[in-house]
Amino acid sequence: MVHQLDTSDLLRRLDPKHTSDNVDRICTLVPDITEDLLSSVDQPLETRRCKKSGRDYLLCDYNRDGDSYRSPWSNEFDPPLSDGTVPSEKVRKMEERANEAFDIYRELYYEGGVSSVYFWNLDDGFAGVVLLKKSVSPTGKSEGAWDSIHVFEAIDRARTAHYKLTSTVILHLSASAESLGEMDLSGNMTRQIEQDLPVDDDSSHISNIGKLVEDMELKMRNLLQEVYFGKAKDVVGDLRSIAPLTEANRDKATHQEMINSMKR
Amino acid sequence: MEPRQERSVIIAPPFMTAGFVSPGADFACPQLSDVIADIKALTVDEPDLLRSLGPAFEKYNTEQFATVKLPGSSQQVIVSSHNSLGNGRYYDVESQSSFHFDHSTQKASAAQTYVLESKNSDLIKSIIKSLAPYVKEHYPAAAYSAYPIENDSTIAILIVANKYSPNNFWNGRWRSIYLFSPTTSSLTGSLKVDVHYYEDGNVRLLTTKPISDRISASSSASDVVRQIAGTEKKYQEELNLAFSALSEGAFKGLRRQLPITRQKIDWDKISNYRLGQDIGGGRSR
Repeated sequence: MVHQLDTSDLLRRLDPKHTSDNVDRICTLVPDITEDLLSSVDQPLETRRCKKSGRDYLLCDYNRDGDSYRSPWSNEFDPPLSDGTVPSEKVRKMEERANEAFDIYRELYYEGGVSSVYFWNLDDGFAGVVLLKKSVSPTGKSEGAWDSIHVFEAIDRARTAHYKLTSTVILHLSASAESLGEMDLSGNMTRQIEQDLPVDDDSSHISNIGKLVEDMELKMRNLLQEVYFGKAKDVVGDLRSIAPLTEANRDKATHQEMINSMKR
Repeated sequence: MEPRQERSVIIAPPFMTAGFVSPGADFACPQLSDVIADIKALTVDEPDLLRSLGPAFEKYNTEQFATVKLPGSSQQVIVSSHNSLGNGRYYDVESQSSFHFDHSTQKASAAQTYVLESKNSDLIKSIIKSLAPYVKEHYPAAAYSAYPIENDSTIAILIVANKYSPNNFWNGRWRSIYLFSPTTSSLTGSLKVDVHYYEDGNVRLLTTKPISDRISASSSASDVVRQIAGTEKKYQEELNLAFSALSEGAFKGLRRQLPITRQKIDWDKISNYRLGQDIGGGRSR
């Protein structure tokens, strides 16, 4: 447990773009924690094509069994497994509907990309992960990649369910040009929410999870926008001022004087 | 069992030098000491491991232009490969002193008088003098200097600005390095910006802009500094434009703020969307 805390604290202080490499290095330094670490650290998602349906799906620790991954479209493992872990029939039905719903969500918000939803059984309810991924290279000189990882638990209560959602967005942006050189703006952000919502039947879960994820992504998109294009840019301006500082300070003083005189 | 220390020596240096420690600032880089504490805790059974990281710390500090206050002085001086005297000692031109720098604690000690010996020492001193008002006008907190390098054929000009705000979970560093050749008047080098934000997440800005200029006028110290000032202003304007371009371009292209309908999804009717979209001539995948 101590290891896990130290590791996440360490990773937080390291370049987010090299998280995969750093995870490998930590695993080599401290091999005992490999399994725990791989399941607790969010890394960019990989895509695979479902052999049965021909549709793309996303790989993560939650659809992995050994070296095989389960397709959300066919419920089958690749490479095939005779005894791979699959959700119960009831939970798989919900999983299928969730995949259909988030496929529509993906089209409405991402206008492309890939989505996958994986559910699994819990003793007192069920849990799941909603994954979304999209990459763009609009001009050839700039690139972007967005990975959303929403892990949730839905614990059954009388006529309600208690949802606990942990969402991570990994956002990578870069640009290069003769006049600019290379610019890389990358990272990840994690937020959590817990909420009780009414449940009439299984389809209530899909809309409850849908709303939670939609609200969370809106919040996180705004936050990412603020940090990536507001905060990061402001810090550059704090390091170096384009306007001469005496001028900038004089303007600030004049501004303050105006505010003070209005207060009087 | 294979001795683990040996393995970590191989692993640790790239680990340390992948540019992975966030830009810290000031007297002792707090991030570096935090990273050291974390590695210590992870490898508590192997006290020798940290000692093996010494070369990695040195590489990190010299590449990042670590700054340090000399004993009894308030002025920040730079630690880099360009002002290294070997054996952990470095020198500063302006204060005419040399000092020992401990790369893991980031502290200076054993300061001594050091007189610059270079055929370009007058030019170097004038460059430092001309840099002072420029740096003061554009950097709220920066260290700068110039040193003779490459057998006294070239002058390395360094500016490093740090800002460290642990309460707001961010750090930033600006590094400028110019190599000026008095004989050919060429001015080459690079500008690098490194910003790290780590509140409930981890976001990093890393930029590199190579510089390749020639000083046209008389190549006096003030000409060199004027060229530097112009280059840095233009670069920062380009960088600000790039922020806007990424925000309006790649970022918007990844995920919409709201669907094209400008309304959040009605999840109770989610299955109707596909149909509605087809009728509305929605794009195909």
